[in-house]
Amino acid sequence: MPFNVLTSRMVEAQVMPGQTLFSQRGAMLAYRGDVRFTPSITGGQGGVRGMIGRRVANEATPLMTVEGQGTVMFGHGGHHVHVIDLVGDTLYVESDRLLAFDGSLRQGTMFLGSQGGVMGMVRGQVTGQGLFTTTLEGQGSAAVMAHGGVLELPIGPGRPVHVDPQAYVAHRGDVRNKLSTAIGWREMVGRGSGEAFQLELSGTGMVYVQASEEKL
Amino acid sequence: MAQFRLQGSRVLAVDLTGDSVKAKNGAMVAYEGEMTFKKRTGGGEGLRGMVTRRLTGEQMAVMEVKGHGTCYFADRASEINLVSLRGEKLYVESSNLLCTDSALRTGTSFTGLRGSAQGNGLFTTTVEGTGQAALVSAGTAVVLRVTPQTPLQVDPGAYIAHTGGLKQHFQAGVNFRALIGESGGESFQIRFEGDGLVYVQPSERNTIGGEV
Repeated sequence: MPFNVLTSRMVEAQVMPGQTLFSQRGAMLAYRGDVRFTPSITGGQGGVRGMIGRRVANEATPLMTVEGQGTVMFGHGGHHVHVIDLVGDTLYVESDRLLAFDGSLRQGTMFLGSQGGVMGMVRGQVTGQGLFTTTLEGQGSAAVMAHGGVLELPIGPGRPVHVDPQAYVAHRGDVRNKLSTAIGWREMVGRGSGEAFQLELSGTGMVYVQASEEKL
Repeated sequence: MAQFRLQGSRVLAVDLTGDSVKAKNGAMVAYEGEMTFKKRTGGGEGLRGMVTRRLTGEQMAVMEVKGHGTCYFADRASEINLVSLRGEKLYVESSNLLCTDSALRTGTSFTGLRGSAQGNGLFTTTVEGTGQAALVSAGTAVVLRVTPQTPLQVDPGAYIAHTGGLKQHFQAGVNFRALIGESGGESFQIRFEGDGLVYVQPSERNTIGGEV
């Protein structure tokens, strides 16, 4: 169920009988055909355990289930929308950036503090994104939101990418992330370059970066 | 020399091979390779330039980015415009300047009354030399040519930058009395005369829905 990009801020999805789509609650802009929208209390799948996991992790952006037959247009807050097609790999994204995604994708929550030790824990505090992130895995598409357009940067062995934590949107693949600091004595005496913290992503995959340092 | 590329309309990619660029503080969104970020007092000219900028309020927080690889810059999802300078001087508001080749000299220049109407102070930033610069604008900027036969009037809020031998002065829009109440005293224009180019952004207050 691929998304059809209508404008830089709006996508359209085809809904078929027997297929489910999840979207952020209230993100429907228009629809054609016979389509039902029901609040999804569990916020996707994973049963009760998944639900509790998300509650505890505070990764519980209200979702709704979209079912029926027709076409639905999604958009939210005038943010830019970027479509990511997954082919069996895993996408890591904050739940509030998820606009809509294929119901066939397995949804989960991941503790980022386990990556990079103490700096992994600090990462959440610095980025304001918390210690947990939502994962989507399988075959299907997801539409994510960003402030400004999205830049795709490939990560390869020996080719890590450094990202401003505020500009980070999502990443996919077999990627380790750690927060690195560039704090020297200059920063201590108030001459910071404004780039004191960077997120270092290494491994194999892709990172999505927005053209802005503003949160959604 | 650093290579400036646009990645979409809102991200600037700069390829560095051991050389450096000056960029707005905190404007880096991502990089590949090895980069160092060092704060500068505001763009060259040594101590005298620093004092001038302090006095004039045309102070920009600038960092020097040096390294090998590609560095990506963006500023609040603003559109980016590339300007190639070949010895000429570019006048630009410091808030609109995203990145300059380190081969370019930056300084300050007196603008007279114009600046105070814009709320940008009486001084503007100048960029001079040979190399590339990147400007940010709200919406895609247009470049308008001014010739001795065709002077140009620009809304102070829509003006970003200009190059060439241009004389500018400030004029009150006496024909736009009807707008005075609504526009909050901004019914003024800058008149450009001479020979040069003026960069104008689609001012946000005239655009429905912001930056569509």
